[in-house]
Amino acid sequence: MCDLFALSAATNYSAPRSLPIFAAKAGRNLDGWGIGFFRKNRAYVEKSADRAYHEGRFHDSFQRLARVVSSKFIVAHVRLRTSGPIDECHAHPFILQFREQDWIFAHNGKAPAIEAYRSDKFRLEDAVSDSARTFEYLLDGIAARDTESGDAPSLFRAVADTSRRLVEEYPGNYNYLLTNGSVLFAFSNHRQFLLLKGSKQLEGGLLLTTLEHGLSEESWTRFAKEKESAGVLMAILGSDILLKENL
Amino acid sequence: MCDIFALSAGVNYTAQQYLPIFAEKSKRNMSGWGIGFFRDNEAFIEKSAEKVYDGEQVHESFQRLARVVDSRIIVSHISCPLSGGRHTAHNHPFSLSFLDHVWLFVHVGLIDGIADYMTTNEPKIDVDVYPARVFEYLRDQLMSYLRYTPYGSLGASVVKAIRNMLAEYPGRYAFVLANESVLFAFCNFRQFMLLRESASFGNSLVLTSIKEGLSDNEWISISPEPDTLGKLLVAAGPDVLYLGDVAHGSLL
Repeated sequence: MCDLFALSAATNYSAPRSLPIFAAKAGRNLDGWGIGFFRKNRAYVEKSADRAYHEGRFHDSFQRLARVVSSKFIVAHVRLRTSGPIDECHAHPFILQFREQDWIFAHNGKAPAIEAYRSDKFRLEDAVSDSARTFEYLLDGIAARDTESGDAPSLFRAVADTSRRLVEEYPGNYNYLLTNGSVLFAFSNHRQFLLLKGSKQLEGGLLLTTLEHGLSEESWTRFAKEKESAGVLMAILGSDILLKENL
Repeated sequence: MCDIFALSAGVNYTAQQYLPIFAEKSKRNMSGWGIGFFRDNEAFIEKSAEKVYDGEQVHESFQRLARVVDSRIIVSHISCPLSGGRHTAHNHPFSLSFLDHVWLFVHVGLIDGIADYMTTNEPKIDVDVYPARVFEYLRDQLMSYLRYTPYGSLGASVVKAIRNMLAEYPGRYAFVLANESVLFAFCNFRQFMLLRESASFGNSLVLTSIKEGLSDNEWISISPEPDTLGKLLVAAGPDVLYLGDVAHGSLL
């Protein structure tokens, strides 16, 4: 199963400690890695089909990027293929443009039902995985809500309603991270997210991972969907959980 | 009645096209003005007890600040005689540090009783005007919810704080509360006018209490519905993250 990492902070941060730990702890993920971030509101992704960590050694680029990337939002993914081929373009995160903004998306889970989904507006042309289709579905859903809601659509509501519909229409396992550089959405309907604020051992800001025991010996807080809910959605800004809802 | 202006953008942005118009349209408010903004996550406030508009001219300093201040979040307030302030310190915005952020606050309204509110936390805002007590009340509520539950929802805590405030101190509220990343705007009377500017204009949200807005664009009216507690807007960068009634808040 793939794994996810995010850092969210009020100012630009690097993750030179937590990203390598993430790669090492998620070492069973053999099929690629990616790091997404923002610079002056433009999204950038560096990714590879190689292993991020193998036999005690980090991928050279991964390690260097962990030291160098500096952003209010950093999203990283290590891949264990369940859908689509093993190559660089199927490594996460992905980028799409929407609402005159760049959006970064990374996914962990298995949702074969959505592989048949086709978007009219958003195309990750080279990617044929469930994750690519999920990203397109989410942006389609948010765009539709924009149209329906008229003047001042609520982005959180749009993401929440679209995520609920995603799980209903295309049942599967979804943990995803979605950010436009102003806010980070984290959704989970399987496994969990572990969160840590104000780490003394790693970086400041808010750290998030799907890894069950977190990335340090500190007191990580677990968020998972409640029984009977379609999933839990959080909107994260800086080091705060701004909004949270069990869908 | 005083007036409010706020801007939220994805990157640092200058409100030079809106702040002078805001001042001109608020020219009946002759009792001072203030502009608040953030730089490196610190809040800065420039304010004055002088008229913002006099002799057919916007106050020179206000004009210059409008051109120079650049920030992801900018708030401004123009005071009316009813606001009670006669000195620079009485003018909004006010600033307080809590929950690991510096916060800015501007308010328009009329509330009975809250002038006697005694905060339980430090620091106090050392001016004798009731909007300072509103800010302290909100600060105290947010701290009581989030100081020991750091993974609680900030938005839900703001909703609870507003509900408690309305129950304890009924009145007319229209305020903006912002830290370096997020802006909360609440009103239970009058309206806010909202404009979403495209990328070519900074990809920003502009909010004001001026009823016709600040340009010929199509401004969106945000008004409290009858028989509700009021409307809350949560903005991050150029996005409205949440807009709803605090009585039915799905944030809780």
